[in-house]
Amino acid sequence: MRSTPIKYSRTPSTSLSGAAAPRSSTPVRGRSRPQSQCWRKTSLRFLPLVLACCCLLAAGCGGKTEDGTTAGSPGATGDGPAKYTFAVIPKGTTHEFWKSVHAGAVNAAMEIGGVEILWKGPLLENDREGQINVVQDFITRQVNGIILAPLDSQALVDYVAEAGDANIPVVIFDSGLEGPPENFVSYVATENYNGGALAARRMGEKLGGKGDVVLLRYNPGSESTGQREAGFLETLQKEFPEVNILSSDEYAGTTPESSLDKATQVLNRHREEIDGIFAVCEPNATGVLQALRENELAGKVVFVAFDPNTDLTSGMEQGHVHGIVLQDPVAMGYEAVYALHRHLQGEEVKRRIPTGEYVATPENMNTPEMQQLLHPEQFQK
Amino acid sequence: MTDSPAPSSPKQQPAPSVPARGPAEGGPRRHWSLLGSVVGPFLALIAVVGLFGAADSMQGEGGTFLTVRNLQALSVQTAPVAVAALGMTVIIIAGGIDLSAGTAMALCATVLAWSLKEDVALVIRTGGNVQSAAVDVKEAEDRLTEIDRNLSAADRQLESSGLPAPRRERLQNRRTSLQKEQQELQTALPVLQQRLSSMEQQSATWTRFTPAVAVVLAVATGCLCGLLNGVIISALQVVPFIVTLGTMTFYLGLAKMLAEETTVRPDRATQVPDWLTDFLSIRSHAQIGGFPLGVWLAILLALLLAVVLRYSVFSRHVFALGSSEATARLCGINVARNKAAVYALGGLFIGIGGLYQFARLSVGEPTAGIGLELRVIAAVVIGGGSLSGGRGSVPGTLAGAAVMAVIASGCTQLGLRNPVQDIVLGDIIVAAVTVDQIRQRRLAAG
Repeated sequence: MRSTPIKYSRTPSTSLSGAAAPRSSTPVRGRSRPQSQCWRKTSLRFLPLVLACCCLLAAGCGGKTEDGTTAGSPGATGDGPAKYTFAVIPKGTTHEFWKSVHAGAVNAAMEIGGVEILWKGPLLENDREGQINVVQDFITRQVNGIILAPLDSQALVDYVAEAGDANIPVVIFDSGLEGPPENFVSYVATENYNGGALAARRMGEKLGGKGDVVLLRYNPGSESTGQREAGFLETLQKEFPEVNILSSDEYAGTTPESSLDKATQVLNRHREEIDGIFAVCEPNATGVLQALRENELAGKVVFVAFDPNTDLTSGMEQGHVHGIVLQDPVAMGYEAVYALHRHLQGEEVKRRIPTGEYVATPENMNTPEMQQLLHPEQFQK
Repeated sequence: MTDSPAPSSPKQQPAPSVPARGPAEGGPRRHWSLLGSVVGPFLALIAVVGLFGAADSMQGEGGTFLTVRNLQALSVQTAPVAVAALGMTVIIIAGGIDLSAGTAMALCATVLAWSLKEDVALVIRTGGNVQSAAVDVKEAEDRLTEIDRNLSAADRQLESSGLPAPRRERLQNRRTSLQKEQQELQTALPVLQQRLSSMEQQSATWTRFTPAVAVVLAVATGCLCGLLNGVIISALQVVPFIVTLGTMTFYLGLAKMLAEETTVRPDRATQVPDWLTDFLSIRSHAQIGGFPLGVWLAILLALLLAVVLRYSVFSRHVFALGSSEATARLCGINVARNKAAVYALGGLFIGIGGLYQFARLSVGEPTAGIGLELRVIAAVVIGGGSLSGGRGSVPGTLAGAAVMAVIASGCTQLGLRNPVQDIVLGDIIVAAVTVDQIRQRRLAAG
């Protein structure tokens, strides 16, 4: 490979024989072509550039029509063209949770009419700088309002203030933002403390007010799960004084794998005493459920989870999971769009809009309401 | 494909395939292709800007893409990648690669955030900071009140008659041990309090140096990371791809360790200096002549590097190394030392890139650099750098970084969804590398 082109290049006259002789070997033929033809026509020099532009155009146009149907549809239901353009910026775009938020936002936009939703998150989950870029680009685009789930309570403060400089109102959803509260219109999110309290009540009820319980924490420094943990512990102590907390200082980490390891350790240590366990978020709950099954404790230990997935839902059908605390992502997107629209209409908007927390149990899980929360609507084109 | 003729071509040609220099040899055709290699990335940049500008102005309310505000936003979005890519340009010209650039950059940003948070100037001076001293005092005080409470409870129990003898004895023992602890703490507390007040006094003099020390530490961390890469590569004679693949996770681990597996958040109001918050901000009060300080600094760094690459002896060694390491060695170039220097220089820019990343995020996030190295490398490659070494230019790299920022920003402003953006970016990179290959064949042929 390495020597052939040089041979041709040094004696250009051989290019003819080069093209003719090695019929059998394709790589050489492939190489000889750009040299013998591309070479003479100087215009071909820019061929790749032209190609690149074509690619861009094709992709651009492809995307545009695609997007025209998605973003345009809510506007199309209203009378005439969209009056407002709202940018909705989730923390990522590939998780089901965000697809449900998207569905809620589009539902609200359709109901209001004349609102166009631009849905765009960072390319990678957890990419703070990517999210900052998206916020800045929507400010440049002068959208009428921004709905943001900040990836970081601190890193996004300046850029929300920047939107304020440009007179673009911002609604924060899902996770809180630091900084002066006048920077944003409203905060639309789950009351995580209350979610933890609901879990505690379900646990206490199922245990009959007596027993030994483990709380498996998520990760140090995470605000939303910290609230859930506090809500759980304080409610248990207040309303079920006879329930003993065996362990509440173990952090399970962010992935199902790390949670499985941690939960296995905790279950081994407290195997004889444990009556109940609470996992504060979805990856943890997935790990805990697996640990319970591997230790043959599933069904014997009362297990309350937070946020559903298919594994946990089927676990509930089998009687391995006794409660799942549910958030309402569809309501989050819906309420956020309504809040922003009301603000732009000059109406008063509440600073804090809770979107509701619910507990699914094996008894109520087949009711339509719970089914809707267990399998929330997803955005579809 | 990477086995392109470039590495062996200098053997035939007296002047290695250096685009920025030696255009005197080779005749008019060579002139043209050299011009193409410098202008090419800019043509690409103009093409994407024009394309997005045109598409944007066809949108409903008229265009916002070709505005000053967008130019400002693009400049600050480009800056962190561009600065790191400057260093990567040198590494790639020398025939190397640095996959650890992204995580090393996040490590530098984390070091900066941590230094600000811990008040590093005071730590260096006194071995502690106000915060930790205050925590020590508070803990001692809390423990003392707790002991007080326990002691009085024990006293109450002892006073009440009818206590079984063994229990009474146990209580007595506990009481004496508590009293002992109380005495120890009571002697320790004034020392701790004095330490706190002296710390507060010292803080008045030393804390103001913290930002400067923190920046120096961050940049030094970058240099060290680069140097470590370079030394391992030359000492172990392992290909840079593998070495830096390893150090990539190594630096990620270091950063996580320093940050204790969370995000390091210095207090914005008191611990982060104003110039650093404004470093890459495009809010009107932060601008100097239309752009924030960080953008001007990036331009200055690029100019400096361009001059170094054109006129210094070091740069000749770098180009020679990248064109053919064996030839370079035969020519009497100290390959090992130059390689280490190249990676250390790359690390310097990564350290500065860490400063940019922190200025942009205002927190130190250890995982913020994952995947960043690919954007840095892509900037160099789109800018005409050759992954087989020997070629690359500073203006090209800047244009390459800008192309990526323009695509990302343009896709957002046109309302294109993420998958489309990914696809477009991929196309551009493949197209850029194709241009590179064709040019290389032509150079080899000429």
